[in-house]
Amino acid sequence: MPEVNTDKIFAAFLLRLEEVAQIEDFDDIEKEFLGKNSLLSEERKSLSSLNEVSRKKYGKLLQGLANNITSKLEEEKTTFKSKFFIQKELNDNKDISIDWYKNLGSKNHVLTNVMNEVVDIFAAIGYTVATGPEAETSWHNFDALNTPDWHPARYESDTLYLDNKLEKLLRTQTSTVQVRHMQNNNPPVYIVAPGRVYRSDQLDATHSPVFHQIEGLAVDQNLTFSDLKGTLEYFVKEFFGKDLKTKFIPHFFPFTEPSAEVLVSWKDGEWLEILGCGMVDPNVFKHVGYDTDSQGFAFGVGVERLAMIRYGIDHIKNFYENDLRFLRQF
Amino acid sequence: MKILKSWLNDWIDIENISNSDISEALESLGFEIENKKELNPNYENIVVGKVLEVYEHPNADKVRITKTDVGNNIYEIVCGAWNFDVGAVVPVALPNSEIKDNFKIDKRDIRGIQSNGMICSASELDLWDDHDGILLLDDKLLPGTDFSTIYSSNDFIWEVGVTPNRGDCMSYLGIARELSGYFNKKLKTKKSNLKPTISNILNAGSGKIKECNSYGSVEIENFNVTNSSFEMRYRLTQVGTRIINNVVDITNYILYDIGQPLHAFDRDKLFGTISVRKAKNNEKITTLDSQVRKLDSNDLVITDNDKPIALAGVMGGLETEVSETTTNLLIESAYFDKVSIMKTSRKLNLISDASIRFERGIDYKIQRYGLERFLMELKDNQAINYSEINVDDKGNLKNKKVILKYSEIKKLLGIDLKESFIKKVLKFLMIDSEVNKESVKFTPPSWRYDLDRPVDLIEEFAKHYGFNNFESTLPQGVHKNNKGSYWDLKSYLSSVLTSNNFQEVQTLSFVNNDKNFLFNPEKKYVEIFNAIDQSSKFMRSNLMSSLIDVYKLNYDQNNLSNSYFEINTVFDTSKNKIYEDVPNQNIVLGFLTSSTLSNTDTRLKDHELDLYYVKNILTQLLSSYDLEPITKPGFHQNYSFSIIKNGQIIGHFGQLASETQMTLEFKNEIYLGEIYINKLKLNNLKEINYVPLSQYPFVKFDLSFSVPIDLSAHLLVDEINELLTENENSIEIFDDFQQENSRNLGIRIITRSYEKTYDDNETREILMNISETLESKFNITLNSSKND
Repeated sequence: MPEVNTDKIFAAFLLRLEEVAQIEDFDDIEKEFLGKNSLLSEERKSLSSLNEVSRKKYGKLLQGLANNITSKLEEEKTTFKSKFFIQKELNDNKDISIDWYKNLGSKNHVLTNVMNEVVDIFAAIGYTVATGPEAETSWHNFDALNTPDWHPARYESDTLYLDNKLEKLLRTQTSTVQVRHMQNNNPPVYIVAPGRVYRSDQLDATHSPVFHQIEGLAVDQNLTFSDLKGTLEYFVKEFFGKDLKTKFIPHFFPFTEPSAEVLVSWKDGEWLEILGCGMVDPNVFKHVGYDTDSQGFAFGVGVERLAMIRYGIDHIKNFYENDLRFLRQF
Repeated sequence: MKILKSWLNDWIDIENISNSDISEALESLGFEIENKKELNPNYENIVVGKVLEVYEHPNADKVRITKTDVGNNIYEIVCGAWNFDVGAVVPVALPNSEIKDNFKIDKRDIRGIQSNGMICSASELDLWDDHDGILLLDDKLLPGTDFSTIYSSNDFIWEVGVTPNRGDCMSYLGIARELSGYFNKKLKTKKSNLKPTISNILNAGSGKIKECNSYGSVEIENFNVTNSSFEMRYRLTQVGTRIINNVVDITNYILYDIGQPLHAFDRDKLFGTISVRKAKNNEKITTLDSQVRKLDSNDLVITDNDKPIALAGVMGGLETEVSETTTNLLIESAYFDKVSIMKTSRKLNLISDASIRFERGIDYKIQRYGLERFLMELKDNQAINYSEINVDDKGNLKNKKVILKYSEIKKLLGIDLKESFIKKVLKFLMIDSEVNKESVKFTPPSWRYDLDRPVDLIEEFAKHYGFNNFESTLPQGVHKNNKGSYWDLKSYLSSVLTSNNFQEVQTLSFVNNDKNFLFNPEKKYVEIFNAIDQSSKFMRSNLMSSLIDVYKLNYDQNNLSNSYFEINTVFDTSKNKIYEDVPNQNIVLGFLTSSTLSNTDTRLKDHELDLYYVKNILTQLLSSYDLEPITKPGFHQNYSFSIIKNGQIIGHFGQLASETQMTLEFKNEIYLGEIYINKLKLNNLKEINYVPLSQYPFVKFDLSFSVPIDLSAHLLVDEINELLTENENSIEIFDDFQQENSRNLGIRIITRSYEKTYDDNETREILMNISETLESKFNITLNSSKND
């Protein structure tokens, strides 16, 4: 029985390996040398015709060849694969410095962010958001807030009216929500009311006919001026940072007494006013049907002003033009 | 109000108190400092000169040459003003000096003559606006005197806000009164003995009406109308008042000094009795500003026998105005009702220094003092004669007694005040009071209208205690981190949209008629009665027009984005269902996106959005909803839908009408809509319905039906869901191919039983059941089916 020359076959196998160009070629080689129609398989079929000794011996030889081919093939395949993928990845040359996926608008408006933040700060100490209409009655905007028809303060805010009898108007302050809320709810009250207010101002660097305020109101047993002070100091520190100094100076609002303005010491030591506040005037309690010896405090803060101070925004117009070049920055 | 330190020093010794201490005092007394600055003009090399000679310039007609003694020299100086002559004493800016606006003065050749400096007007020295020419100085001044020594050149000025409740602080006296308490310094007095030398020839009285509590007057004869004193002109200019003549200047000066408005009439133009009454309807008067004012019975007028001579408390009449030729005067000092003056002033839109003081309330006891002060300013004028001061006071005004219990102080402020402190503050404030163990009974002084309740006095105590000396405590509400349903809903909707590349915007609420009409022609719009701008006098009835503007702006700017939203209020005049008595207004979420970005590059060109994209956004926002086609103005005829959730319409969306798109010159389709926030409940949007997972293998069918063009594919999906209701299903439309009038719809069904693995027969049965049911129910044909 002629035996095949296993060395020759193995040499032929090695030669074929050198021709490998792609990963699939390994499968072809495997088929060629180990598959059904391969020389090796043919030889194996003929084993049965040999005697036991020869069969064992020749079988062992063939098995040795098969093992060598298999292991060599695996080895080569592994080497090839790793080389191949290294090469493939080396050919991937994306320039990561390009932003193909553009920064599309995907943000809240900066004023919304500021309002959210203020609401969060007050929600943490038990305040809930209250709302009210923007087109209001003069009674809610002025009379109920202790600013009767003859009061000079009524004419200081340049009001936009909706009728010639001056009975309906666009609210000039979110304090109207205080009135609405107290008319419908009993104490204790802890609310903040963010929203739009309107004034008869032309849009320029520092004025806008539309702007936003956040009103706060707390009515509860035994609330004092110290509570008002502590609450607003807490707010300023949460919003602007712990290191900021605040001071309270007397002011006048028809609907609070005593009334104060809160100033913060900003960079370069300048004191900036950021909000107005005071103890709710007994007349306001009377108008909303509360006991006149109720006690509480109220405050109002300008949203645009907070944003302008914090980010150094120079022009109030930017908030309402909605140029993405501006909106995207926040 | 502007406060000049040198003027304030007339009333209280503050020269030696530092400006920063005064600033702090003003602020802690409630005067907001709007502005403050040091007045420190540079008068180096500006001296007094005496004009010795004046002669023509050989080469110029409009200027003259002077020889002027400037102390150690006599200079030739060329001058263009003609209001002086030989002997005049004038300010001279010598070479190497600076005048207004840092203009440098040096020797200069003026048409062949060397001018050694400049003779100055008041305006050139930044003193006041003066168009009369050169500033003429006191004849007694010696040439060469340093100009800064005759003019209080170093001064300080504060511009403070006086709150509307503190009319009493709209004068130097009022501010000084506050500071005297703060610094514990005595208020100075200004008094002199007056010696009337003539008797009145006119009668003057306060009339019958209650709106004039008192009317005071004095008559002056032999008066010479000229310039007021140097100091008065300086002071008035610094506080922002125009210099007119000595009569008007003094009345203005007294107004600022003590807060009592005065008015001067030319007495020779008055006849008979001077009195106050209400105007007749349609009565007319020409005021000092030459305007004819039409009055009604709410206005107060001052009259003589013949005519109205002044609009009381607001402005004098032109006819009886003091002129250069006036020699005899009647000076008025009155108290008019606050509200009456305010109404007239607002109605006529005529606001004067006098009217703003009357409307805030002046001291009701200083009418006589006002006239005394006027006469005191004339004390150096030997020539004049004046009458007795006559004040007709009805005596109707009296501040009432108020009782403040100490327990109220403790309750509001949270602190116990010592009796000594209470007494001290009451003394500062010049408040008449009886201090007892448990309370204080007080009567506010005649200038304080803001102290008529216990709480008003508590505020004064708090102010003088010092707001910054209070402890700080932090009370807390019961429900922490509960922002309420509206805020939570708004935040949720915003977060869904922003995570889908929608940018939030905030636009103004005012629009023109067209912007409302485009989408809401059926509504009546809320109109602003006193709109800032006639071209935007309506409140918007929708947010879509505003969003289109934002889209257009950024498109034109080449800003890369195409999706925007806004949550704000829209208005119309229908009945408001929540709030009585106000126009209808609803908070709406408006959104807009376009089919492509404004500024695409090759990589992003497949970033094309369509109606289905917007529908997917709605699904993310609302979780489940139905759409119903509607016809809506401004929208595409076929692509306009009501959004329905829980049986009610909660909004609408669609594609912008093609014609509008063209009119606006947009190349891309615009998809937009609105959701009515008050119709949503956050719980419904976040609804979770858990479906258990089947443990059995799925069967999958791809079915292709031939269907009518107008069939709503969703109906087929619903029907299949119904048929397979016992199973866990996923049913999707995977193809919708339309060509002319034919349409093929591909539906992929993946279904799993909860009980078993389907065998081939069962699978076939399911398929048969579905296709037959759909074919018969919707009159459609199954083209092909594939199952694996």
